[in-house]
Amino acid sequence: MLSLQHVSKTVDEQTLVSDVSFDVEAGQCVGLIGPNGAGKSTLMKLISGMYEVTDGQVLLFGQNVKRWSHKKKAQRVSVLTQDGLAPYPMTVYETVMMGCYPHLKFFQRESADDLSRVDHVLTMTGLMNLKDQMLDTLSGGERQRVAIAKAMVQDPDLLLLDEPTSFLDIGYQTEVLNIVKAWQERTGLTVLMVLHDLNLAAQYCDRLILLNQGEIVKQGASDDILNTETLEAVYQTKPEIVRHPVKDIPQILL
Amino acid sequence: MMAKRSTLWLTIISLLIGLVILMALSVSLGSAQISFVNVWRVILSHVPIIDGWIERDWPDSTETIVLDLRMPRILLAAVVGAALALAGALYQGVLRNPLADPFILGVSSGASFGAAMTFVFGIQMVWIGQMTLPVVAFICGFATLMIVYSIARIGQKVRMETIILAGVVVQAFLGACLSLVMSLANEKLQTIVFWMMGSLTLTDWSYNAVVIPVIALTAIVAMMFTRELNMLGLGEEVAYHSGVSVERTRFVLLVLASLMTGAAVAVSGAIGFVGLVVPHMIRLIVGSDYRLILPLSIIGGAIFLVGADTLARVLLAPRELPLGVITAFLGAPFFIYLLRQAKREYF
Repeated sequence: MLSLQHVSKTVDEQTLVSDVSFDVEAGQCVGLIGPNGAGKSTLMKLISGMYEVTDGQVLLFGQNVKRWSHKKKAQRVSVLTQDGLAPYPMTVYETVMMGCYPHLKFFQRESADDLSRVDHVLTMTGLMNLKDQMLDTLSGGERQRVAIAKAMVQDPDLLLLDEPTSFLDIGYQTEVLNIVKAWQERTGLTVLMVLHDLNLAAQYCDRLILLNQGEIVKQGASDDILNTETLEAVYQTKPEIVRHPVKDIPQILL
Repeated sequence: MMAKRSTLWLTIISLLIGLVILMALSVSLGSAQISFVNVWRVILSHVPIIDGWIERDWPDSTETIVLDLRMPRILLAAVVGAALALAGALYQGVLRNPLADPFILGVSSGASFGAAMTFVFGIQMVWIGQMTLPVVAFICGFATLMIVYSIARIGQKVRMETIILAGVVVQAFLGACLSLVMSLANEKLQTIVFWMMGSLTLTDWSYNAVVIPVIALTAIVAMMFTRELNMLGLGEEVAYHSGVSVERTRFVLLVLASLMTGAAVAVSGAIGFVGLVVPHMIRLIVGSDYRLILPLSIIGGAIFLVGADTLARVLLAPRELPLGVITAFLGAPFFIYLLRQAKREYF
């Protein structure tokens, strides 16, 4: 599905990402974690093709990401950034419908199928009652929900999320991730996400990749990564690790 | 959705009818005292089939005034107004800057400089004759855009803040060059100043014949990018991830907008305010969807400039007021009124 082979990125002699290799299999949900400046967002931009790699290669569905045209790539990959959608005065409905764009030919109108897909997604994400509202009148959390709905309409095989919850309160954080999880269970979507919150990462990801200073420190299940020694080495702070009483996964306390 | 589409068409059609009525009214008005009825008899006498019923009992001069002076001028006002308003809407959308207007990237400064050089040195190219002025102005305007674009270009990318800065700097530089040329121009000074204020006085049919195809073609191509413009509004990254080739789209749209501006400025000088104000008026009324903004800006710009030019001709007749003065006097108060009415952010 997605394969990084010895990927490096250098800008002005400063190494942002260095010799990173990993694979993501279809249907997995993989979390990228690490401290600020570890290269997580750079890595996401290298994967989505926004930045070009200095060394190595990124293979999307077996083909180098450089070889994908913008539209073809957008048919199979959706990206949600932390800034999300600008508060542009456009209705929720129109915005979500823009997800159809990569599937349309130049000047082609949205078909009846496309429109019913938009309606279906709006219902599923609980946006039906907001559909005629303007984006600039929504809260950050609601806008992020619109961004997810737009990504769903795009109907991708791979979803890249770059800190999708960073500006949201805990209610919206779990809501956004629950929507993604439900979507994944329904369609077998593959998800790669950057998360700052390690507890959320442990709850929502099948596998974690810990980055520090542009390199992979460790990858594996949350139990392998979220332990005091590993985290202390990377974050320079000593967290307490406890077990989640219901989900039986590691959670950190500061 | 269907309801919205039919409302759009209804609006477009009623505005078009309004434009035609305004143009008809404008043809009938002017310093030469020709009666309303006679103006229309002259025009209809040139329409096949009907022409047989109309008795030609007017002097030749009447025919010349109506057909060769007023009509080409009014048509050109409509075309230039449409081009400037559409170009303004495109610049504002691509640069994501509400202050952008058709002149922000220096296209009109370049064109004005070219025009001034043509006046001062009396350049006349043999095979294009009186078309030399608009052609030189157009080429200089477009060359300016290319220079600004290449200054702002770093590697493959052009940042919108950089291109605006580059535009402002080049514009200032060309302004200084223009001042220099003007200070050395002596007896040609008045011609240059008059041209720069923007005017449709010297219009004849040949200007229309040259400008209309350029503007129509660029406008049609630009209208194909309404979806992309909407997505750019949601953010550069969002547009990129939705499958838009951001750099290419921007380049194409900037070139189209500059071609329109160059063509308009080449035949009418730098008429201010239309390109800045009309797209904002449209936005304040219909919102930020470029599928509505672009077509409505075209019609709105045409109406605005035909109206302004009519006032410029009629208000102090037989004296003519500079068109740029009228566009500012009309545009500024109305725009302020709309801005005060707007309850929320709209750009």
